[in-house]
Amino acid sequence: MLKEIKIYFKFIKMHILSGLEYKGWWMMCVQTVFIVITDPISVLLLFSRFGGIGEWTMERILLIYALAVASFGLAESFCRGFDYFPWKMIQSGDFDRLLLRPHSLFTQVAGSYFHLHRLPRPITGIIAVIWLLSRMNVPFSPLNFIILALALAGGVLTYTGVFIMTSGLAFFTIKGLDWIYIFTNASYQVTRCPIDYMPKLLKNAFTFFMPMLVISYYPASAVCGWGEPVFTGFLALPAGVAFLGFSVAIWKVGVRHYKSTGS
Amino acid sequence: MNRTLKTGLSIFRIRAAEGLQYRLAALSGATVSIFWVLIEVVVLTVFFKYSDSMGGNINGMTLAQGISYRWVGELMIMLPAQAVDSDLLKKITSGDIGIELCRPLDLYWHWFSRTAAGKVNSFVMRGSIVFAFGAMLSLLGFRSVGAGLPCSPLHFVLFIISLFWAFLFSTAYGMFATSIRIGLEWGDGPINLITVTGMVLSGSFLPLQLWPDFMQKFLRLQPFASYMDTPARLYVGSTDIRPGLFFMAVQLAWIAAFVVFGRMIMKRKVKNVIVQGG
Repeated sequence: MLKEIKIYFKFIKMHILSGLEYKGWWMMCVQTVFIVITDPISVLLLFSRFGGIGEWTMERILLIYALAVASFGLAESFCRGFDYFPWKMIQSGDFDRLLLRPHSLFTQVAGSYFHLHRLPRPITGIIAVIWLLSRMNVPFSPLNFIILALALAGGVLTYTGVFIMTSGLAFFTIKGLDWIYIFTNASYQVTRCPIDYMPKLLKNAFTFFMPMLVISYYPASAVCGWGEPVFTGFLALPAGVAFLGFSVAIWKVGVRHYKSTGS
Repeated sequence: MNRTLKTGLSIFRIRAAEGLQYRLAALSGATVSIFWVLIEVVVLTVFFKYSDSMGGNINGMTLAQGISYRWVGELMIMLPAQAVDSDLLKKITSGDIGIELCRPLDLYWHWFSRTAAGKVNSFVMRGSIVFAFGAMLSLLGFRSVGAGLPCSPLHFVLFIISLFWAFLFSTAYGMFATSIRIGLEWGDGPINLITVTGMVLSGSFLPLQLWPDFMQKFLRLQPFASYMDTPARLYVGSTDIRPGLFFMAVQLAWIAAFVVFGRMIMKRKVKNVIVQGG
């Protein structure tokens, strides 16, 4: 296990160094920050045009959004290898090589891609969470800290789960996996809609199937006291573990099912 | 000139036919866009219906118009999505641009037709599927979330013309970005930055009419409204004919400007291009 972790970080280091060879690497980081900031711009503009929606202020929406983005960003930074997997490894047949190496497939795939410009997303997200909490005068008590840390941990597991699921499904479909985007980059767009007014179907899908709201809305509610039962704020980690387990099962079936496509 | 035009048209045809083969991938991509639009429709509805300053008509746009705007906008999303054609990008980064330079064709118009073909593909394979879905929702009786009919026949005619202008604009703009990308050792960062700016200002995040009042003048004249705001406005009729014609003139001016800029930059860059390896 320790050896695998060491190898994983060696992979990461390699990717960082090769990324730094580009003169404009910092520009890519600026670009990510720019995207993270412009993404919720429509919400900001809508609030400035229409005012609040009952209890739902701009800060509330942004807090939920920022929590989801931070989790997504962390998972993306460290496990995006899985997300590129269908395109980079299955279609090209490179996966065969991984199978021959005496190391865990997980480590190899997770470490197959990393770029520094992924990191600004979670960092911006976390800074935004802290800023919004202090704007809403929420005390930074140990309990709140634990809830948020659990939310982040659960969130990382959930999104890692989505990436692993993408790879797992790629064994069966090879092409046409774009729809999985609904559960990655598009998923946190859902948080732009105030939960009270969200269509039931959407809310249930992102609570019980892919627990995106469990790792963002419920912890935020527990911390700020928006009226959801407090225990729901602690469900992020178990939900993340469950979803990850489900994804890993799909991946395992996929690996067993694998037939080489490449030359 | 004549020959370049003829070759350009054939390249356009070949590339377009090639792209149309990936039907399954297109459907799967369209699913995401549909999901995306539906979320935005929900968000718009919530704001129009429940916000503190409940408004029926915000700056000349009603909720129904806003929703149609979003669905029609998908027809034009093809345009900003990717500024530099992925095949051309590959040629630039791999050094194949050297081979392209040997061809007895004007590089600018040659690549212009390729870029245009890419845009047409995403229009047919993605935009029209998503819009058809939106229109179907209305037909099936989900009027409150589906795309509405065009405002009037005259508006519709202008919309079609303006849509074509938007297509030309996006190609010219794409070529502008491509020219900048040639010989750039900075990677894709700078290009992506201007692409994102273009998307935000095109109205794909939020109809430009709903942006703050003090920005409206600027928003009308900046180039990126030509991408989707102008045609979409004409379709839903949130603008009158006369200002609509003015917006279309702005579109034309920007098309010309970007073709001129693009050619100029490309000429300069190609002179200094260094191809390594063989």
